[in-house]
Amino acid sequence: MRSLFRIGQVMLAECAGAVRSRRALVILVLYLLSAVFCMTGTINILGKMENELSKMLMLPESEKTGVVSVTLWKSPAFQGMVRSGLRNDLVYNDIEGRHPAELIYAWFAFLCAPLLAVLVAGNRVSDDLKSGAVRYALVRVTRMEWTLGKYLGQVAMVALALASSALGAWLVVVCKLYGVGTFELLPAMFGWGLRAWLYALAWLGLALGVSHLTRSGSRATAIGLVALAIFTVWPGLLKLWARSFGCPWLDHFDALVPSSALLSLWRQSVAPLFAGGVHLLVLGLTYLMFGHLVFARRDA
Amino acid sequence: MIGVAIATRDLVKRYGRRRALDGFSLTVPRGAVMGLVGANGAGKTTWMMAVAGFLRLSSGSVDILGRGPFDAAVHSGSFAILPQDSALPLEARPGDLLYRYARMQGLPVEAARKSARDMLHAVNLLDRADNSIRSLSHGMRMRVRLAQCFIGSPEVVLLDEPLNGLDPAEADRMRQFIRARRGRQTIAISSHNLHDIEALCTHVAFVEKGRVAKTAMLESITRSVTRVAFTLAARPADMEALSAVVPGATFAWNADAGTLACTFDESAGGVAAVNRKLLPALLAQTDVIAVRSGLSLEQAYLGNAGQRGPDVV
Repeated sequence: MRSLFRIGQVMLAECAGAVRSRRALVILVLYLLSAVFCMTGTINILGKMENELSKMLMLPESEKTGVVSVTLWKSPAFQGMVRSGLRNDLVYNDIEGRHPAELIYAWFAFLCAPLLAVLVAGNRVSDDLKSGAVRYALVRVTRMEWTLGKYLGQVAMVALALASSALGAWLVVVCKLYGVGTFELLPAMFGWGLRAWLYALAWLGLALGVSHLTRSGSRATAIGLVALAIFTVWPGLLKLWARSFGCPWLDHFDALVPSSALLSLWRQSVAPLFAGGVHLLVLGLTYLMFGHLVFARRDA
Repeated sequence: MIGVAIATRDLVKRYGRRRALDGFSLTVPRGAVMGLVGANGAGKTTWMMAVAGFLRLSSGSVDILGRGPFDAAVHSGSFAILPQDSALPLEARPGDLLYRYARMQGLPVEAARKSARDMLHAVNLLDRADNSIRSLSHGMRMRVRLAQCFIGSPEVVLLDEPLNGLDPAEADRMRQFIRARRGRQTIAISSHNLHDIEALCTHVAFVEKGRVAKTAMLESITRSVTRVAFTLAARPADMEALSAVVPGATFAWNADAGTLACTFDESAGGVAAVNRKLLPALLAQTDVIAVRSGLSLEQAYLGNAGQRGPDVV
């Protein structure tokens, strides 16, 4: 219990430090703005496309953006394209009835969550190692407690960023598509934010794990970004190698990277979502513990 | 291990081929204020870092308060350190930071708040409690670093160059603050300022080349019974007259300091007897401004280190 208490204290200190840290704050605001701009931009493009489509078909222009898109989205032809693109009937069945706006936000959140995690958390440990600030904590908490507290603090920070981005995206949708006063889509937006947060658990573990390996914050962030790039192409590489070398079992190594759990996060039922969340948490803690093991064996 | 706060034995810390600690053995009694004195790179800071568990030792054993080597799970709240060259988180505010450290040590909310406030008051920074560390001067940051050491009154405190960068008034305030803790807490201080060590410590350890060359109570080192130094208005013209008064004594004149040191053996009857004989003879030749028996720590250290001859004045 005392250990949990100390982890909690490190987490609170980490949250307070991250909130006051200009870099973390700037990145969080940028993320929120990106979500807002992404939604605004996408809806504007949709609106223009709908207008062009209406002109071409010589139909009266729709007063509100989204009406044509929603109709198109629900059309059997378009759904067929989505189904063949996804190549996963379970995911297709789950997202079939969703509003395009929430899927646009989900796409944005899943795409940017890894980047957010690496940029926010990449330097949080290495900077403390470089400045020596870690020493003031390490006479009060164990190295393991410090590592876990840091991780949980960053998990809380990213939750805050994703919640605010979901809220921002919903506000854009409300203003652009529905008009103020409706709460439609709000729970769905937060739902996708929650899924992106689960996805970020693994990336935060990676970013903080890497941050344990070096005393340079910028180097840690750079290594994190390189790892992100490698992990992004990893499933493709595995497929290529599996085909090239005739080793289909290579495909199973896909599970070592967070993107392998991504399809689970698109599901609406609890069981796959839970399994995907656990998978991502285990991955995150594994990356984190790898960094911690190196840190635990070296001078602070 | 009752009566011993820190026991370190045969500590070795290697950096490649170089040995920062080379068989460093030191025992710090409970309640003592131990001063570590030594040249740059002698191993004082490395010893402190090793005791605090920051360094992975090549060999040797550490025991703190009889509970084994440092382990935050065991020693949190009873051990603190002021590490050299370690910055506090710049975004943090002193009040919040000390409160958070107190909570990490396990203090309840109210006790943590009170302890943080008391420590900020002790280091004269209560009015800057809500400013960020970034906005504080070097000396103020040092005072916050000192304050964090005494949060919750830990039993053992290690201070590495604690008065560095403090202005004279604050340095004096801190000296009094540390001195007031004598006997209540065990404190080890590393400093190049030997006057500070002399003013604060009850014990002293001379550190050379990664090991302890000598450990003793400060008094036993500085209160020599066979040496007395006189600060004079001018050099005595007739040194032979002085030698005749205290047979067998040797005299050394330091023109820079204007002091005459007299070293004698026990047959001379001690400092008081020598003074009774020597003062009239000196006063006959010049004015005597001050008399000091024994050695300053600096003299004792320099004599011990062999950096000057035995007739250091």
